[in-house]
Amino acid sequence: MTDPRNITPEQRIEEIGPQALSVPASLGGLRPAPEGGEVHFTQSGWRLMVREYASNRLAVFALGLLIAIILFCFLGPVFYHSNQTLADPLSANLGPGQTPLTGGASHLLGTDENGLDEFGRLMVGGQSALEIGAFASLVAILIGTLYGAVSGLIGGFVDGIMMRFVDVLLSIPYLLIVLVLATKYNGTVLDLSLVLGVFSWLIPARLVRGEVLTLRTRDFVVAAQTMGASRWRLIYRHLIPNAMSVTIVNVTFLVADSIIYLAVLGFLGLGLQFPDTSWGDMLGNALQYVLAGQWWLVYPVGGMLVAVVLCCNVIGDALRDAVDVRLRRR
Amino acid sequence: MLGYIIRRLFVAVIVIIGVAAITFAILHYLSPTPAYIVLGSKASKLAVAIWDRQHGYNRSELAQFISYLGNIVHGNFGFSYKNNQSVTALFQEDGPISAYLSGAALVLSLIIAIPLGVAQAVKRNSPGDYAATAINFTLYSMPSFFLGLILIQIFALDLNIFPPGVSDDVTTIGAAITHPNQLFLPIITLTLLNVASYSRYMRSSTLDELAQDYIRLARAKGLSERVVLSRHLFRNASLSMITLVGLSIPYLVAGNLLIEVLFNINGLGLLFYNAIGNEDYNVMLAYTLLGALLTVLGNLFADVAIATADPRVRLD
Repeated sequence: MTDPRNITPEQRIEEIGPQALSVPASLGGLRPAPEGGEVHFTQSGWRLMVREYASNRLAVFALGLLIAIILFCFLGPVFYHSNQTLADPLSANLGPGQTPLTGGASHLLGTDENGLDEFGRLMVGGQSALEIGAFASLVAILIGTLYGAVSGLIGGFVDGIMMRFVDVLLSIPYLLIVLVLATKYNGTVLDLSLVLGVFSWLIPARLVRGEVLTLRTRDFVVAAQTMGASRWRLIYRHLIPNAMSVTIVNVTFLVADSIIYLAVLGFLGLGLQFPDTSWGDMLGNALQYVLAGQWWLVYPVGGMLVAVVLCCNVIGDALRDAVDVRLRRR
Repeated sequence: MLGYIIRRLFVAVIVIIGVAAITFAILHYLSPTPAYIVLGSKASKLAVAIWDRQHGYNRSELAQFISYLGNIVHGNFGFSYKNNQSVTALFQEDGPISAYLSGAALVLSLIIAIPLGVAQAVKRNSPGDYAATAINFTLYSMPSFFLGLILIQIFALDLNIFPPGVSDDVTTIGAAITHPNQLFLPIITLTLLNVASYSRYMRSSTLDELAQDYIRLARAKGLSERVVLSRHLFRNASLSMITLVGLSIPYLVAGNLLIEVLFNINGLGLLFYNAIGNEDYNVMLAYTLLGALLTVLGNLFADVAIATADPRVRLD
């Protein structure tokens, strides 16, 4: 027999009957639901969200593929050893399976113009692309959540000013401002993450502010206020956790966009410093590769990039649907 | 309506000044004076100081910004020291081809995306709908230059129908029209990217309209499906495209940049890209302002156009 604490309410009803839902008289007593009435079980909104997400097969597949790619990039080098630091002109531009003139084993996906193994390069480039994507969205979401929560909670004149500032920044095309900043700040993972993150917090800020505006009139927030909670405590203990579902959806889209813009920066030659590389940097000379027929330097890395962005977008869409289910219960 | 437009234009001016201030501040912080570009990177401190004094770069940032704004009002966007030409002249030279590229791609993508979205919604959850959605989603997740590369591979290298790049003498709209094959690949690339996002919106707005009572009524009174779709549904479902087009105008500018770099088209995007490498910041500033102006005007256009087309929407 299973531990009675672990059985679900449904199982309890099967075992004990409708009284399962009643509260003993010693605790004030509560009648079971009237005959024919429908009984709803209260479940955590998060668990509903997970269940809704899991019912979307495509989204589960996308999540699996994304995890597989992350593992490939970060654990791959442990199993697949290749030279990723020293340029080796003698084995440059080898096709897949072609053996170097100096002898030695052939390369699974050939080599690039520096003679580095392309298959290993995919992993190294993926590491920085994923790191920058994640870190840039972390920066954006931190600034955005804080800004939006403060703006929404204070309200009134300050809110007006803070949101007009967001409007002005949103009128600057993101790509242009990122390019301008990247002319000075590029070369390292940290620089590029900050460049990409520092102007992408605007949409999260708007979303969180909207959430906070509806949350701050709710009973639990008012109750916390009457109990003397400070503004700061309200924000981090009550408002941000409850606005979290909206932010989580946005994070996935932010990661997707950051990886695309990182690729654009790499393509325009504003990426990481050799021997570091990201998927975008690997596509920097892609046009020459295509014209020279070196497909192995273009399509594998491009395919990985598109796959990651596609996964993030699919996951984001499914999460949004799942969050809708959660929010409907409010 | 007129009062509304005037009020919005007033706000637009304030937003543009705000954008100018922020961009000006960033660019000034990154590169305080173009003296080193004019005099060479090994110029002596004294020469730079003299040059700065002659050209007003020794004044406070605020004074420089105010005189920049004053010049803008007179249509003077400064001087490009790298190109040795005024920014206004450069924009007049390179602007038309960019506008042609965006305009052609916009028109083409609407022609494709609207019927595609309607067809997907009408035959929803059919294999065709799934296929179109999958393709759209993939295109939507692609950096524009990568799509361009794939098209170059297919149409220029494998099939050898179109040239992989645009030759240097295609710089005007006239040349673009007389050499349609030159700009075919860039326009198709931009079009496909637009179609990917437009048809998604068209599909969902058509689905919303299909559930409305007036469609059921039109069907109930025995109209043929073709008439229901073309006369009743189409016009209502297309309303959402007006907003979308207005909002996507600034993205056309940014999207152009990569395509112009990839295909070597002498438009504004390539001008901006070269300006980045040369720290030619009057060009960068002017292009960013153009982007901001298009954003603000695109928003205004979307609101006014939707109010004109849809009597249910009122502006006040």
